[in-house]
Amino acid sequence: MSATGPGEGDGDRDPVDRPERDAGPPTLAVVASLVAAGIATLAALIASPIGGALLALATVGLAGGSVRRSYRALSWGAGVGVVGLAVAGYRGAGVEPLLVGGVALAVAWDVADHGLSVGEQVGRDARTRRNVAVHAGTTLLAGGLSVGVVYGVYLAAAGSQPVAALALLLFGAVVLASTLR
Amino acid sequence: MSRAAAGDADGSASGGESGESEGGDATERRVRREIETGRWEGIRGIALAVVGVGVVARRPGLVLLGAVGVGYALYAGVGEAPAATLDVRRTVSDGTPEPGDEVTVTVRARNVGDAPLADLRLVDGVPPGLEVVDGPARVATALRPGAAVAFEYAVRASRGEHEWEALTAIARDPSGSRERTTAIDPVDPARVTCTPELGAGGDLPLRGLTTRYHGRMPTNVGGSGVEFHATREYRRGDPLKRVDWNRRARTGELATVELREERAATVVLLIDARESAYAAPEPAAETAVEASVGAAGQAFRALLDGGDRVGVAALGPVDCWLAPGAGTAHAARGRETLATDPALAPTPSGERFYRSLWLRRFRRRLPADAQVLFFTPLVDDAAASIARRIDAHGHLVTVLSPDVTAAGTPGERLVGFERRERVRDLRSAGIRAVEWNGESFPVAVARATSRWSR
Repeated sequence: MSATGPGEGDGDRDPVDRPERDAGPPTLAVVASLVAAGIATLAALIASPIGGALLALATVGLAGGSVRRSYRALSWGAGVGVVGLAVAGYRGAGVEPLLVGGVALAVAWDVADHGLSVGEQVGRDARTRRNVAVHAGTTLLAGGLSVGVVYGVYLAAAGSQPVAALALLLFGAVVLASTLR
Repeated sequence: MSRAAAGDADGSASGGESGESEGGDATERRVRREIETGRWEGIRGIALAVVGVGVVARRPGLVLLGAVGVGYALYAGVGEAPAATLDVRRTVSDGTPEPGDEVTVTVRARNVGDAPLADLRLVDGVPPGLEVVDGPARVATALRPGAAVAFEYAVRASRGEHEWEALTAIARDPSGSRERTTAIDPVDPARVTCTPELGAGGDLPLRGLTTRYHGRMPTNVGGSGVEFHATREYRRGDPLKRVDWNRRARTGELATVELREERAATVVLLIDARESAYAAPEPAAETAVEASVGAAGQAFRALLDGGDRVGVAALGPVDCWLAPGAGTAHAARGRETLATDPALAPTPSGERFYRSLWLRRFRRRLPADAQVLFFTPLVDDAAASIARRIDAHGHLVTVLSPDVTAAGTPGERLVGFERRERVRDLRSAGIRAVEWNGESFPVAVARATSRWSR
């Protein structure tokens, strides 16, 4: 509590921070996150057992982060998941499972992280279903669109282009993204 | 409330002027905070690293995976935190409930802007003195333009006048990378006024400082009354009724019986409402201020019924003074003051308290013949010192102290011990003190009174 002017008195007792609820993430967010992480694990497992194992570890990390309400655990889980996908890719996973795994991992982390912030601000007992569903849907949609574009380019190039050319193309996309921002 | 901030905040937002078919204007709002949440931070680096691995290892799958990562980075980069252009209505089921009643509050928010709100969290500004008993006063949802969300919760009414604060709306863009917190003030903020009936109190012991009016307080002044006081020599003009005829028969002298005169007292109920008095043995329990106000209500009624003149004052940063008086109108005023005066609000006001200024003002207002019933939890030395100073100025003080100390941890026991020491000090300084804890106030008073000599 700091000394503030009379006009700012409300800021001291922000209604958002009042402890009157269970601040855990909504159940739907946790379940959706775990389902997505499970799909990512399956996709990686098809390609390589080590990648699958790493993604299973990532799933545990995401679940732990949701339960313990720790953003850091979620980030670590997502990081381990990316490494797992990279390992699976390096060990020769197919393009399709890798892309599915990538989007599923992104959705898993995103929904879990969103669930934590919703839980913090609104609480577990409040009505949050629509919010979480819309958020998960848009993230899935964004992933689906990027996969569509990327996979379309890949099919159009039909593997004839060298990988370096594809990377250069991507570099262009990144520069574009940076200038857009 | 800084309404000025609302002007520039609304400048960029397209409010309700776009003339939607459903009508309704955006409720006045102020932007509190706009932040980058940083939740997608690092996605670009990760994407590029994966692409790099893919290039070096000549794995097209990894390059494509990195490309999807770039897609998410783009997704996180575009979009702005939407303005929460909402039409908010808040209704309460009962504006004047009895204490303990459940009041249902319904909040309805409609998106009157042009843009959809993909991620909207609403937190209602429940007054700090009310406890939410059913359902959180919060909701998270997504609203298309024109769509509405309604949520309901129940609060338990408690003494006082409670006005709802602004509703907080937190809107994020779809990716959640930008967040805008807005305070929305409905045109008619809901208000609940809860005025408890004053409980019936028992007989309250007062000290011997009285007015010149007749009342119920026995004094040490001889005169007309019912109780024997003394006899004295007969003076011409004494009423024949009061002549001690037995003595006349026995000794032949004329003597007059004096009776104890009964007079009315002027009493000021002083309630400790400093921040330190908002203490309770456990977080959910009744605070000392609540206990004091409840007891003061009983005392108020009992004293008024007994014919005394009673006033109310608060020891705290917010000024509260009801001059001593009598009569039905005064009883209603007293009830109103005890129930809804901001100085006795169920939560502290947070303003600074200046003791010497307060004491000077209090002494100026206090009638010379007034005695003080001081309701305080005695959890700090200041309260005891104030009691002593008022007493020293000739206004006899009785301290009535709700015990709000706990006995769990060593710290709590220490506070309880210090409080008992203060009570002992007050008693040794000649100030009467009544403590009560758990038991009802009249019982404690009756028990304490039986120990006192007049």
